[in-house]
Amino acid sequence: MIHVSLQRLVLKNEVNYIISQITGLINTPVFIQDAEGMALFGEIDQYQPFRYPVEIDNKTIGWVGGGEQAAVLASLLSCLAKQELEKKSIGREALEKYKEITLLYDLAEKLTASLDTAEVAQLVIDEAKTLIAADNNSVMLVNEETGMLEVIASSGKELHPGEGLKNGTGIAGSVVLTGRAEIVNDIPSDKRYVPGAVRVSSLMCAPLKIKDRVIGVIYISSEDPVQYTAEDLKLLSAIAFQAAADIENARLYDSLKETFLTTVYTLAETIEKRDPYTGGHTKRVMNYSIAIGKVLGLSDTEIGRLELAAMLHDIGKIGIKDRILLKKGKLTPFEFAEIKMHPIYAEEILNHIKHLRDIVPAVKHHHERYDGCGYPEKLRGDGIDIKARIIAVADAFDAMTTDRPYRKAMSLQIALEELWANSGTQFDPEVVRAFFEAFEKDELLVKKGW
Amino acid sequence: MSKILIVDDELHIRLLLQQTLEEFEEEGVELLTAENGEEALQILQEEKPGLVFLDVMMPKINGFEVCKVVKNDLGMKDVYIVMLTAKGQEFDKRKGKEVGADVYITKPFNPDEIVRKARDVLGNQLS
Ligand SMILES: [Fe+2]
Repeated sequence: MIHVSLQRLVLKNEVNYIISQITGLINTPVFIQDAEGMALFGEIDQYQPFRYPVEIDNKTIGWVGGGEQAAVLASLLSCLAKQELEKKSIGREALEKYKEITLLYDLAEKLTASLDTAEVAQLVIDEAKTLIAADNNSVMLVNEETGMLEVIASSGKELHPGEGLKNGTGIAGSVVLTGRAEIVNDIPSDKRYVPGAVRVSSLMCAPLKIKDRVIGVIYISSEDPVQYTAEDLKLLSAIAFQAAADIENARLYDSLKETFLTTVYTLAETIEKRDPYTGGHTKRVMNYSIAIGKVLGLSDTEIGRLELAAMLHDIGKIGIKDRILLKKGKLTPFEFAEIKMHPIYAEEILNHIKHLRDIVPAVKHHHERYDGCGYPEKLRGDGIDIKARIIAVADAFDAMTTDRPYRKAMSLQIALEELWANSGTQFDPEVVRAFFEAFEKDELLVKKGW
Repeated sequence: MSKILIVDDELHIRLLLQQTLEEFEEEGVELLTAENGEEALQILQEEKPGLVFLDVMMPKINGFEVCKVVKNDLGMKDVYIVMLTAKGQEFDKRKGKEVGADVYITKPFNPDEIVRKARDVLGNQLS
């Protein structure tokens, strides 16, 4: 419960100044007291018959006494108190939202500058290639569960991602065991060597170490005989040192990503609860969107983004006041304009999070129309991100087929007709077609597991 | 009576900080605000707040300069100054130290962290 203290209000510099000014203009002595009767200003005159209440929403928080003219001061104070109350309640609401957003930021902070493990390994190889002459390069990591040394990223013909060595075998396996970098310039005479897809003559292998634990190796080899030097090995070890730290980070990131998605999803649900939709809207929009995206043949990366974007399509509503978002009656044009801000708020929020920045177009434009009459940018046709065009259809379909505070759900038949009727104007006809295809294949009901 | 001064050129940050520190008001602490460096310096001299939340990036007189004037030119070494810096722009720690800032917090700030900081600082000053 928010309350306004008349005492604190009266003590405020600017309010105190106004009171002094006004009382100076009134002939009779004026006093102000709080609801309990304590004097806040002037001296209380027990015999003063005129007392006027200072009220907020019909609740008396104090009195002004001192002749009929004191009434003006009482209404002025009531008005100031009411303003103070409004300011506080808006402030409190804003702070709550801000807290929700900082939660997301905190998490995003941890994800900044992270890539997935395979990407990092590939970067390491690219770097090694530019620094040391070799035909084949690979990064192999120990899989704790299987005990295999697995190729995570590679270049050249010798090894390929997905291939593996039994831990402890080969020269790479031996480096894992000893934790020491090695040069082998005469491979055929090394008994540990396990022949592979191509014949190689020289190799270098350095361990990837986190403190004393070897998590894998970086391995390079040359098909033509070359003499790798101690200098070369030093360089490779330096690359390995940096790579180990980066790969460990990436692995932590992979597990964080799970947490991240769960948190984002929870956040989306929190927002949904504020919305007068029937529960499960977010989840259904996600399912419909993914089904449509698959029919349209989007790549896995794009489907992943579509999933996130659908999950967060209304995240901008976090910035809209409850008074407007939850309003039962018709919205005024001003209130509607505020609602229309939610895609823009979403952009502001998502832009701060590196990991979510690439879904901004999909989220920001989910209320654009194919014919260019939507918002916020009146984009049209192919100018609208395909993911946004998909979410628009999914969102509309779910809105039509679920109950709203102001109307019952439409029948499925009517909702489908409605999509069809607006195909080419509100919706991208290709997306509507894909929606029907998914619908006929019964794919819209497929739940995607979390 | 102890006072906290909030300095930021952005209205919403000032409001959020005021709201965050509301509980101190209940305890009799006065919350003051300034929307630029000049105003901040004036209030600092007149009201002598014990704790200042000071935005670094402000037009004309920035937070570093305000801090430097307060701690050096005005010799108000006891004022505890928390610099507020936006995420993304690297906070120049060397510079912060040079001008005598006590600590820095990045925006978006964590409201709980702000309250904790204020409690620490004012706790010492109140008792
Ligand atoms: Fe929306």
